[in-house]
Amino acid sequence: MQNKSGLVAIRNDIRNELFAKKPLSVLEKIENSLERLNDKIEVMIEIQKTGNDNQRSSLKLPDASLDVMTLLSMPDHLRKTAMTICRCGRATAEEISQQTTRARAVESAYLNQLVIMGYLKKERKGRKAYFYIERETQS
Amino acid sequence: MNKIIAVHSYKGGTGKTLFSVNLAATLAKSGKKVAIFDLDFRAPSLFAILKAENNGTWLNDYLNNTADINKVLVDLSGRLTGKGKFFVGLANPSTEAIRDMSAKDRKWEMRALGRLLALRESLVRDQNFDYLVFDTSPGLQYSSINAIVAADFVVVATTGDRSDVDGTKRMLQELYNLFEKKTGLVLNKVLDPSATAKKSEMSNKVKTVYHVPMLGIVPCFCEILRAEGNLIFVQDKPDHPFTKIIAEMARKIEANEVN
Repeated sequence: MQNKSGLVAIRNDIRNELFAKKPLSVLEKIENSLERLNDKIEVMIEIQKTGNDNQRSSLKLPDASLDVMTLLSMPDHLRKTAMTICRCGRATAEEISQQTTRARAVESAYLNQLVIMGYLKKERKGRKAYFYIERETQS
Repeated sequence: MNKIIAVHSYKGGTGKTLFSVNLAATLAKSGKKVAIFDLDFRAPSLFAILKAENNGTWLNDYLNNTADINKVLVDLSGRLTGKGKFFVGLANPSTEAIRDMSAKDRKWEMRALGRLLALRESLVRDQNFDYLVFDTSPGLQYSSINAIVAADFVVVATTGDRSDVDGTKRMLQELYNLFEKKTGLVLNKVLDPSATAKKSEMSNKVKTVYHVPMLGIVPCFCEILRAEGNLIFVQDKPDHPFTKIIAEMARKIEANEVN
């Protein structure tokens, strides 16, 4: 329901913008909305893949750390993405895909999976989604 | 580009530290800016081998995020001839520090990996270091695997000992393969004095047994044992065959010719 009202709000926004004759900003808004939707769909796909709610909550460890032993125990496809983000520290799916030479959508799915597993954090800045490892300052 | 070189082995006593020190010294003597790091926190040895005095700030402090890397590095350029620069980052040898490092958790190790990875920016990019050499502890230790992950090129030292051959083989297949690391194998303490004549034969054998390229062969030299770790061999014995062997390996690493 919430998603539906969200979409209605976006549609109304777009209509208002159209009346104000700002076609470029309208297109940007549409693109932005599509990207957000895309990210949400990717997360939903990953959740479906990883199973029901109980399994999911056991997957998401509160203090999951992306250390070398964890990297070693990962399946090959995820390790490649995780190793690359380890080296970059902070990157978009596009930047990771340039280094792994895999498709952006593939890296986006793997990065979102690593977020669900609690190894990465995700932050949105404008139109871009950044993934990073939280290495908070030590005492 | 092989800027960060980790030296590792499965078993202890394979010659990692001897190789690390002499490789770093060889690179520095050829005019490069080099830093060697003692990442063997369970059995630190560089402070004794290089007889380096520091100001009480250790590599442990850098990894703990309580000190800047420039406070840790000790300038030993004066020990070598040539225009290069030679720095060392020492591990704290006190029992308390060793105990402290052994009790670190996964979270800390993850941050330590971040600190090692950051050396590429702080030293290689910003301070124009040509090479960083990581001397590690043997086996599958956190600190060693962190060093391997952070490195561009890993040198694995091995001897002909049965226990070492099997373990090294397994380690290369089950650890190095997973991290897709560029690796070169050093066969150390080779007994046959004519070993160098059979180099290509040995190289093929290494590829068949370990599935990695060979970086070089170091024969067993009594002079090295006799020195008891009291000298930087390549500096003090410039005409010794060992010095020439290390120089050739350094050249191969620099030219990225290990394949």
